[in-house]
Amino acid sequence: MTAAFASSRPGVPLIDGIDKVLGRARYTADLDRAGALVGRILRSPIAHGEIVRIDTARARALDGVIAIVTGADCDKTYGVLPIAMNEYPMARDRVRYCGEPIAAVAAVDEETAQRALDLIDVEFRALPAYFISKDARAPDAVLLHANKPGNVEREVHHDFGDIEAGFAAADLVREHRVSCAEINHAQIEPHACLADFDPVTGRLTVQDVSQVVYYLHLMLARCLDMDESQIRVIKPFVGGGFGARVEVLNFEIVTALLARAAGGRVFMQLTREETFITHRARPQTDVVLKLGMKKDGRFTACACEVTQRGGAYAGYGVVTILYAGALLQGLYDIPAVKYDGYRVYANLPPCGAMRGHGGVNTRHAFETLVDRMARELGLDPFAVRRANLLHAPMQTMNGLMVQSYGLAECLDVVEQASGWKERIGRMPPGKGLGMSCSHYVSGSAKPIHFTGEPHAVIHLKLDHDGGVTALTGAADIGQGSSTMVAIAVAETLEVGIDRIRVISSDTAVTPKDNGAYSSRITFMVGNAAIDAAKNLKKILIAAAAKKLEAHPDEIDCAGGIFRVGRGGQAMLSFKEVVAAALVDEGAISVKGSFTCPVEFQGGKHRGGAVGSTMGFSYGAQVVETSVDEATGMVTIDKVWVALDCGHAINPLAVKGQIEGQVWMGMGQALCEETRYLDGLPAHASFLDYKMPTIVESPHIEAFIVESNDPNGPFGAKEASEGALAGFPPAMVNAIVNAIGVELDEIPATPDRVLEAIVQHQRKVKLAQKKARS
Amino acid sequence: MSARLSEFQLVQPARIEDAIAAFVAKPGARYVAGGTDLLVNMRRGIVSADRLIDLSGVAGWGSIDADAEGMTIGAGVTIAALARDPIVISRYPAVAQAATSIAGPGHRNVATVGGNLCLDTRCIYYNQSEWWRKSNDYCLKNRGDTCHVAPQGKRCHAAFSGDLAPVFLALGASAEIAGVDGRRRVPLSDLYVEDGRAHLSLKPGELVASVHLPAVLAACAYEKVRARGAIDYPLAGVAVALMIAGGKIVMLRIALTGTNSRPFLLADVDQFIGKSVDDAMLHGVDRLVQRQVQPMRTTLAAAHYRRLAAAAVARRVVRRLAGA
Repeated sequence: MTAAFASSRPGVPLIDGIDKVLGRARYTADLDRAGALVGRILRSPIAHGEIVRIDTARARALDGVIAIVTGADCDKTYGVLPIAMNEYPMARDRVRYCGEPIAAVAAVDEETAQRALDLIDVEFRALPAYFISKDARAPDAVLLHANKPGNVEREVHHDFGDIEAGFAAADLVREHRVSCAEINHAQIEPHACLADFDPVTGRLTVQDVSQVVYYLHLMLARCLDMDESQIRVIKPFVGGGFGARVEVLNFEIVTALLARAAGGRVFMQLTREETFITHRARPQTDVVLKLGMKKDGRFTACACEVTQRGGAYAGYGVVTILYAGALLQGLYDIPAVKYDGYRVYANLPPCGAMRGHGGVNTRHAFETLVDRMARELGLDPFAVRRANLLHAPMQTMNGLMVQSYGLAECLDVVEQASGWKERIGRMPPGKGLGMSCSHYVSGSAKPIHFTGEPHAVIHLKLDHDGGVTALTGAADIGQGSSTMVAIAVAETLEVGIDRIRVISSDTAVTPKDNGAYSSRITFMVGNAAIDAAKNLKKILIAAAAKKLEAHPDEIDCAGGIFRVGRGGQAMLSFKEVVAAALVDEGAISVKGSFTCPVEFQGGKHRGGAVGSTMGFSYGAQVVETSVDEATGMVTIDKVWVALDCGHAINPLAVKGQIEGQVWMGMGQALCEETRYLDGLPAHASFLDYKMPTIVESPHIEAFIVESNDPNGPFGAKEASEGALAGFPPAMVNAIVNAIGVELDEIPATPDRVLEAIVQHQRKVKLAQKKARS
Repeated sequence: MSARLSEFQLVQPARIEDAIAAFVAKPGARYVAGGTDLLVNMRRGIVSADRLIDLSGVAGWGSIDADAEGMTIGAGVTIAALARDPIVISRYPAVAQAATSIAGPGHRNVATVGGNLCLDTRCIYYNQSEWWRKSNDYCLKNRGDTCHVAPQGKRCHAAFSGDLAPVFLALGASAEIAGVDGRRRVPLSDLYVEDGRAHLSLKPGELVASVHLPAVLAACAYEKVRARGAIDYPLAGVAVALMIAGGKIVMLRIALTGTNSRPFLLADVDQFIGKSVDDAMLHGVDRLVQRQVQPMRTTLAAAHYRRLAAAAVARRVVRRLAGA
């Protein structure tokens, strides 16, 4: 028994929270942009077509227009995966979705920039456009990318264990088909970028909303054909990411291109509609899932086919389609798993990574089918999950390492807290309970850009003031990573957190970091921070030992006081030790790093690196719903959720993250979806993109389970994604429990629910008629 | 794609006559009160105005006056003020109920009764950015010649989605309209026309000055369906006024919003007079609603859903008012 229940430590408020609450925090759009030109992007009005001609002459002639760039000004592709960079910052000879950038203007003000865009003449030769996977994959469909036959970006076929024997051994085999709508991150801060090009020195400084400052630095150098040393990228405060900014985005490069062309500063702020069009979120997904189950609930085999409508360009797509298969494993013990994945191109904005990347929609299909089969076999949903638990440490068939596993405790906690045993089967009409499990990686153990460097590096600076400055490239985007670094350093040094200052994400100052994605920061940067703090502590202990005329091994350090032996009389304060350490040496700089050992970097099969991680978080949740059968309205009454995050470095932040995951999962399950009308986004405002409001937000009881991962920083694993995927299936299972109607599609909008009820009633009537005759 | 407001002149008259004069003097002028509908549409470029006439300083514009005859509500009364007015709450609880359900708290603090009654009609092909509409060759309601919702037809199907109008209609309200030629009072239903492009019967320069509600003995309630419990416009909203004596219906009015280009009173409800509220009657209401509403593909929610939901809500509200 490795897991301990809910942490009783309260945790600390985020170190940058006060600035945000008081409105002092400066986001990109708040930066001083004196002298900056206004940048605007001309976007394609058609979903698919060849660009025959672009004429910017009339726009250039307009007073106040300083620079215009088009696809002709950048012949370098960009993208997050070195193997799949097939996108230009501005379309060159073909547009592949409505809203794709074609040209951009820098002008003295917004009105002039807009007028200039209206004066750019573009002639297209229209091509057939495809908005659903099936149409794009039709044999006679025009290819979006010549090198991708069938408009399939990537096919994945993975086969682990003996699938046929597995199904043969089952007492019950069932298959179902589930469709999950495309959704968007809908982060509150719209995209913005401030680029400053100095024509004298030739240096470029970019301040931007990115979650991946290092990748942006790389891509700016590539697309502007500049030496990396001449570029500086700074991330100010960021108003949410959720994956929207985990790859370099076209407007970032376009702003820099404009700044260079104008020889000055250009500020670009996208509208909410443009922010939606920039997209890179969760794709519309069709899942066909088949499971084999024994009478006692044991899984015997799982076959899964996933089709993702990925949009017009590659983006993160290869990773998303691989995750969708890889994350079938690592949660339960399944003897055989077969996976077929298809990432399809379509004439829509490119999809990408979004919180729960790749795993959410397959998990939805899996957990809802498990419930259907449990009902058929008369088994309790908790019992089925318990019949299939893993036993850490272990390695899955696809090479994923499970070192800590608190799922059993998560199940116990939510079962008890929700009163499941007493209430299930006794709910009033129209009310139901449903449950589900989920998991997620703590960072990808194999980085996207493999350089041989450590996965994370932290620098610490200690000077005369006794303050420790932690320099990290890890992007705090509101998730609290800078606070996590401060706590890791403070706890290792055994000093108060107010002694630590964190500077994050400025490529001129902070060491390279791959960025905020795949929930890598706590595990990797946390370990690097502890390593750095240990190195600093060694220096301080040596200095204290010298001053106290003792051996370093004899020095005891607690609460910022250094003494010889525990309870020793001679003692030094932290500042005295710092002063001693600076003698002869001056200001101290140390570093720490973390590297994922090679055995954690995934299976040997093609695509085996995706899903590999040092540790999985585990979650279980129970959702209580009410369904209004007359209108199809679904209400979420309450949620009980437990997350095994290994160890909660900051329990306050972890609880906030758990609530955020549940809430985001609820948005996808209940009401969020992106919808296109002939390729034009019909959802591109916060009125039409239906994020839940506070009215829809239920009380969430969040529990932290601590399984103490052997490799995690203080035993910690990720804490911000693992519970998300559990919500949609738990909700759909609760709806079935409430009204006996299965939903094959999410979100459970009232029109979908009412349609499902009507279809269900028709089926029941038909069956009754048959029975009578 | 810009969300920038175009230049306009702001006029702030103190009297309604001055407001009308300011309107007539400048073609392309628009009245503005709370601005929660108009300014969003201006930013999107679907409404243009060289001159905005701010009505918020007009004397008497924002008062609620009640007497034995009924109640007069100034068009400038904010939705929030309407929702919390004690006399409204006690005498016309359905009005307060509808007001409380409009948009979000921030909107209700500035949005007005007149604005909600004169709300522009809405459609997924209309409430979009300039770039969007231009890419789609505009539409019948704005700069184009095709209704994308019903390309074969000749009319615009944009839907009205105000929440107050159905309740006022069910309560038998009349509207006082001020214009160049003075004031006129019309049954509220005469304010509306079943045409998404021109759904108000107001003549140039005219504006709704107040709404008069007669004293009402009937029980009245309002309910709507919408995607979320706040902010969203109704997909379908139903107001019912019902009076029962000796177990039999003596008065019944049902008004709907969100399904058509205008809010409207359900026709042929007199067939229920003298009947009791039972399953057969409710079934009849359901069928009547389904037959008379005309939801089109103007929302992302399916049109057929709005038909079914309107009928379901009508059934439910009638049943609830009857205590059945």
